[in-house]
Amino acid sequence: MIRTTSPQIELSHLHRVFDQAHAVNDVSFEVYAGEVFGYIGPNGAGKTTSMRILATLDEPTAGDAYIDGFSVVDDPDRVRRRLGFMPDYFGTYQNVNVYEYLDFFARAYGLAGQERLRAIGEVMEFTLLDSLAHKPIDGLSKGMKQRLCLGRTMIHNPSVLILDEPAAGLDPRARIELREMIERLAEAGKAILISSHILTELAEIADRVAIIEQGRLLAVGSVAEISAGVQSRSTARVRVLRDADRLRQWLAARDDIFDLNITGELAVFTHAGGRESEARLLRELIEAGFSVIEFGAQHKSLEDVFLHVTEGRVQ
Amino acid sequence: MTTDAVTTEEQSVDAAAGTMAPSRAAALWSAIDRFLNHAGDWLNPILVKETRQALKSSQFTITFVLVLAASWVVTVGVVAAIGPRIFYSAEGGTLLAWYYAVLAFPLLVVVPLSAFRSLTAEREDNTYDLLSITTLKPWQIISGKLGSSMAQMAVYFSVMTPCLAFTYLLRGVDVPTIAILLLYTFFWSLGLSMVGILLATLTTQRFAQVFILVGFVSWLLFMFYCGVMWGYGTAYYGRSMLGGVGSGFWIVLGVIATSYATFFALAFFAAAGMITFTSENRSTPLRACMVVQQAAFVGWMAAVWISGNFRLEFVLVMIIFAGLYWYVMGTLLTAERPGLSQRVRRRLPQSFFGRMFLSWFNPGPNSGYMFVIANTTLIVVLGMFAIAFGEITSGGGRGGNPTVEEVVDTMVIGWGYIVGYLGIGLLIISALRRIAKVTMLAAVLIHLLLLLAGFGIPYAVKSMSIELREADYSFLQITDPIFSIRHIFDGGVRGDANVLLILIPGVATCVLLLNMPQIIRELRVVREAAPTRVLQDEAELHPPPEAGPQNPWDEPA
Repeated sequence: MIRTTSPQIELSHLHRVFDQAHAVNDVSFEVYAGEVFGYIGPNGAGKTTSMRILATLDEPTAGDAYIDGFSVVDDPDRVRRRLGFMPDYFGTYQNVNVYEYLDFFARAYGLAGQERLRAIGEVMEFTLLDSLAHKPIDGLSKGMKQRLCLGRTMIHNPSVLILDEPAAGLDPRARIELREMIERLAEAGKAILISSHILTELAEIADRVAIIEQGRLLAVGSVAEISAGVQSRSTARVRVLRDADRLRQWLAARDDIFDLNITGELAVFTHAGGRESEARLLRELIEAGFSVIEFGAQHKSLEDVFLHVTEGRVQ
Repeated sequence: MTTDAVTTEEQSVDAAAGTMAPSRAAALWSAIDRFLNHAGDWLNPILVKETRQALKSSQFTITFVLVLAASWVVTVGVVAAIGPRIFYSAEGGTLLAWYYAVLAFPLLVVVPLSAFRSLTAEREDNTYDLLSITTLKPWQIISGKLGSSMAQMAVYFSVMTPCLAFTYLLRGVDVPTIAILLLYTFFWSLGLSMVGILLATLTTQRFAQVFILVGFVSWLLFMFYCGVMWGYGTAYYGRSMLGGVGSGFWIVLGVIATSYATFFALAFFAAAGMITFTSENRSTPLRACMVVQQAAFVGWMAAVWISGNFRLEFVLVMIIFAGLYWYVMGTLLTAERPGLSQRVRRRLPQSFFGRMFLSWFNPGPNSGYMFVIANTTLIVVLGMFAIAFGEITSGGGRGGNPTVEEVVDTMVIGWGYIVGYLGIGLLIISALRRIAKVTMLAAVLIHLLLLLAGFGIPYAVKSMSIELREADYSFLQITDPIFSIRHIFDGGVRGDANVLLILIPGVATCVLLLNMPQIIRELRVVREAAPTRVLQDEAELHPPPEAGPQNPWDEPA
């Protein structure tokens, strides 16, 4: 990831109120060039609303958001030149083929002549749509449509990409293709804000994530950082040679061990504390004379972290 | 290379290479191809896209085939009905009337409806968001949709061209009549398309769109009926529309053209404003348009007034129309969102004269109120000047109906009603905005309700009162502009007129003073400097020209 001094995407105390509902409530975070930033939260948490504000499709009630230093409220035209937005729906025009669709958006972004032809060619090559140039878009599969939508998003070579649920409804192969494309775009230095419900995939590509619920930002950071922040207990496994009974007594005597369960030489228990504490426990086990042949702590996945942070209120 | 254009170019090159020496025809074709590719870059993207779509759409194909079939049926049917008379009688007018009916349906119904649907369908198909985040400006979107309508019109005209040529060959109509008929219909269709686009921008709610659609279709069908009747009259009885025309024809044409152009521009800017991002200045182009429209209106009224020997009726007509116009525009302008965005503040006038004359063009309900007052005051001043000039030229001996006093009283009292009603409405809207969100529609409704209350409450009281019921006019009806102004023209009530002359402008001035603090607050907003990042970007986009020699002796850098 290329960490530049100024963020490509910046949300500053963003609020959006619809009638009585506070859809986005004091949300602030930053995304830098080359970074893939995951934006996760349950349905109705405020992800799409904040993304629409960033895409200049909606206006904040208070606060502001910036793309490459330009306010989305006061300079939407400058923001639009730098931004590619892929909404969670696919807008189709009837009686238009893949080439014509991309050609229209290239023209709409002011590309002309050879520059437009080159941009369309590059996008079609990147999204593997070369062979489908003259296929009507109504006849495309979901995966092909998503690729075309991504192509439309990047036709004017924006420095910032905002992708709202790009992997929704895709088959595994299409998901892998999409993930690879996103990784390549990040390598090319683009700042990517991506929301998804498929957290396992997001965890693989996102450098950092933000968790939002009921309009409020609950956590921001890398998955590891957030895990460390929320993880007060982990499930640990210890296997020793011979001294199972002594291990039971030794572990049972400790304050940071709970739910101890020993089967044969294997002890499974809940350990209170972070990674440092786990390392200390292993050292103390060895110092106590146990022949440790297996030691492991099960770390929380992004899904576990998400469930923990949102306290299981996933809709 | 994966693109059409490049492929075509390659094919052209291959074709050229296939022959031992590139033929002239191939070179010419290649040049034309390159020119068309280049020319395509200058076309509006929406026009390009919608033309591509239209050429593949079943709706267009069906309409096109139906028009062709209908013109064929009309040709055969009318020629059969005319029978042998076709050889010696001038029957071109009969056939033209029928052809015009065939042409009028696609032009006056299908094309405007397509324009309306084209924009509403963008919202239904979820493409509107994608379109609005491109770098296309709102005026480009609107002009693209209009361009698409014009392209469709061109196709329908081309279908009917051989038929219209046939009517000329049958004699009975001349070329100018056919040309004017088609020209009028073209502008009629374009105007209806503009209205359709404007209506499509008014709401995003489905039920409201359906409501508007039903109303619009009904109106278009009525327009089609009017068009057919007008076409029939012109084709049958016009015969030669330019035959024996006097200066009156050109004046009427000029008035129609000016009204059309200014209302078209107003609708265009209004539609563009409706789809513009809220922080953008949507009001100033509309206000400039209104001023131009008023200037054109005053100009034509002056021409009519001069050619009509400075008659007072023309002044009266001018002030009544201008008063109605500015009241309607005032309800919309005072319904604007308060507060200026930073984007607008960056472009506020800075100089003393700039602030004095251009601040009224700034967006905002209070500046809008002052803008309306300034324009109505200008109309009153011009009216006074016209009356004074008429009196001087006639030596002050003009009598008859209306009298000078009646017209002057109408102007002053009318001014008072506009300033008063709009001012009270603005005060109510401003108060409501402190506790709730007041949309533009709600604000306009507030003005309407206020006016209805001004009419209705005195009328209801008068109807219920035994004493007042029989009276022709009582001061209870002072809130009713129509009754009050009509009362001035009743004659022999100078005393009442004097009371109205003092009370109505007096109350209006008080209302204006009550609004003054918020007007001043809005006017005190000064220009804000653009952020550094914006200035950097502006410098990148529009770099200053390189410093060159300032005089013949300067050495280039």
